[in-house]
Amino acid sequence: MKFKTIAAATLAAATMFSMAACGNNGASKADDSTITFWHNSTAGEGKQYWDDVAAAFEKANPGVKVEVQSIQNEDFDGKLQTAMQDPSTGPDVFMQRGGEKTEDLIEAGQLMDLSDKIDDTIKTDMKTALTAATFDDKVYGVPVSVEPGGLWYSVDLFKQAGITDTPTTWDDLLKDATQLKDAGIDAIALGAKDAWPAAHWFYWLALRECSPKAFQSAVGDKDFSDQCWVDAGNKLEDLNKLGVFNDGFLTTSAQQGASSSAGLLANHKAAMELMGAWEPGVVKDLTPDKTAMKDLSYFAFPSVEGGKGEEGALMGGVTFFSVNALAGDNAVKFVNFIASKENQENYAKAFSTIPASEPARNVVTDPALKTVISYLDKAPTMQQWMDTDLGSNVGNALNTAIVNMLTGKGTVDDIISTMKSAAAK
Amino acid sequence: MSASMDAAITARPLDEDKNAQDKKKASARSAKVRNGFEITVLSAPAIIVFVFFVIVPIILGAYYGLYKWKGFGSPSTTGTFVGLQNYITALKDPTFQSAIGHTFLVLIGSLILQGPLSILFALLLNQKFKGRALIRTLIFVPYVVSEVIVGTGWSLLLQKAGAINALLEKMHLAGIDWIANPKYAIWTLLVIITWKYIGFAVILMLAGMQSIPEELYEAAKVDGAGFWQMQKDITLPLLAPTIRIWAFLSMIGSLQLFDLVYIIWGQYVADTAGVSTMATYMVREGRIAGNYGYGSAVALIMFIISLIVALTYQHFVLNRDLDGALTDAKSEKKRKKKLMKEQQMAKEAIAIADSEVK
Repeated sequence: MKFKTIAAATLAAATMFSMAACGNNGASKADDSTITFWHNSTAGEGKQYWDDVAAAFEKANPGVKVEVQSIQNEDFDGKLQTAMQDPSTGPDVFMQRGGEKTEDLIEAGQLMDLSDKIDDTIKTDMKTALTAATFDDKVYGVPVSVEPGGLWYSVDLFKQAGITDTPTTWDDLLKDATQLKDAGIDAIALGAKDAWPAAHWFYWLALRECSPKAFQSAVGDKDFSDQCWVDAGNKLEDLNKLGVFNDGFLTTSAQQGASSSAGLLANHKAAMELMGAWEPGVVKDLTPDKTAMKDLSYFAFPSVEGGKGEEGALMGGVTFFSVNALAGDNAVKFVNFIASKENQENYAKAFSTIPASEPARNVVTDPALKTVISYLDKAPTMQQWMDTDLGSNVGNALNTAIVNMLTGKGTVDDIISTMKSAAAK
Repeated sequence: MSASMDAAITARPLDEDKNAQDKKKASARSAKVRNGFEITVLSAPAIIVFVFFVIVPIILGAYYGLYKWKGFGSPSTTGTFVGLQNYITALKDPTFQSAIGHTFLVLIGSLILQGPLSILFALLLNQKFKGRALIRTLIFVPYVVSEVIVGTGWSLLLQKAGAINALLEKMHLAGIDWIANPKYAIWTLLVIITWKYIGFAVILMLAGMQSIPEELYEAAKVDGAGFWQMQKDITLPLLAPTIRIWAFLSMIGSLQLFDLVYIIWGQYVADTAGVSTMATYMVREGRIAGNYGYGSAVALIMFIISLIVALTYQHFVLNRDLDGALTDAKSEKKRKKKLMKEQQMAKEAIAIADSEVK
């Protein structure tokens, strides 16, 4: 009997405690002098850059401590979600990529509205990038980089296969890929283990095939009824049938080690890869001597004959940093600090990428990235990556359905039906 | 007779006896209290841990499973109540069905592959020969190595352009795509699992074999039994309790299989490669996709499936090893009664046979 009483008392106390824990969402964080900062660079100059920025901020703001945590990219979203179960102990400043994942956080009231808190220079210098962090006319993040996608290729391998001009149409691309294959070169590196690199091929084909209206109703209302989605899938099937992807692409990861798809490109084991503008930075860490790949170059995703998409439209991501709704003023100060022109220039150098701040883009020297910037200046729009826009639920289902199709486990129709059933979960 | 004795006892009107009885009662009561107190204090830590880390999560999981919930805030405020819809969706999802299928394939495959192999290895290692300690260690090493290292190592070795295929090529054999081809991937996984966990099975079997009395073998030898006959008629029957426990542990391990698959095939493509398990499905559709409500429902289904498997196995196979440990005295008595009845019937049968012979 005694045991029963004790057990009942403990259980009651526990219930009350857990209820109390649920109810403290309104409280603000106790300690404002320590900022917990989460980013996704785990190696090389990128990690060093954030450590340096944190140190510089601490120096400029005596008494404030920045706790930097670098989290592997693929683990980032899951860890963040777990940490934000209790926002009062979650990170203060963390990386975001927009789309539905960010919207979910906003809906749960966990992101701070920064509209009136960011410097005016951010609003002018990062005007285009800021749209990706703006929801319902409110700004929820400070962008650091703009990463449009496209095809990254090895100039030497293209030459070796006798290709002189980079392809501008889909048919050209198919022809060139075959030509590379015939020359005994793996034409396209594909990191299908992470699913999204394979899915990017489908997104881009859809961007070219679908009218802007059909594209918007798909990512907005999850309506994939337009014929262009089937056409895009069929085009990808055509490419897949040529057998131009690297062997064993299903278990090839995107960025980890020399056997990853980026590693294959870095070590001249494959001729090209469809990737975002972070590619030069990733490839740099994977070359044998860890220096920039000398013959890396870029061309935009080719146009598709009869496609209804906008000419020259780009797709890409904007990386920005959001602030926990419960965080103090120092966290806001910190995001303004990382957006300064000087820090943006250093960011561009450290990550070999395109900074969000337009004036800071002058420091980009990489010829491939310069090409990307020239396409970016010409592009009428830059769409968000489709899986980001759709959210992890439907986005992941889309990505894996595309991988299924590429390995012959599913059809084009399955892609659409998988997305529908994912929306029910 | 007994009635008169009772009468004799009650008839004795002795005060001191009564006193003693009272004392006895009191001390019995205090012993009982102390006993209860000891049980409470000693078991409290275990019970608290069990309640908070097993029972409460199960209840919370069942509760979350009733919501369509993205994991931010609490389900009642940011989620939508959907009743049992999550459970229905999961059970109807062909991806989950195939994940269950793969899990049970691994479960059965592990038993079939590891069982006989581990007994053979244990038989070998139970003999005296030079370098026995070394081989014993070598067989146990994979079990000690972390799953992450095993997964990374094997996935590098087994790539299409990996070391194994390079070796095969030198032997003029054409290598296949061991892990990326959905046709072979699950068999590759089974081989890796066998390699990884057989050491544990061998150690268990070896321990079981060493507890078999040497005299039995000596007696069998005197009777002229050969090596294999001895193994069949002495080792196997006496090893049976060990085999049953090992099979139980192996089954539980298979039902929870996650890490190796997750390391080799990553977060997304386990299903494409045909190696997804219930746990990888739960992580992909629950945590990575951000469907915390749905994921909780899948977790509960997993729990129920595991519970059914475990209870069924315990009831039909393990109960004879667990007499007095996990089963209560009642069922033990029941079984003894049954046994006695059987013996009685056998005796009767013998008697009948005897009389018929006469």
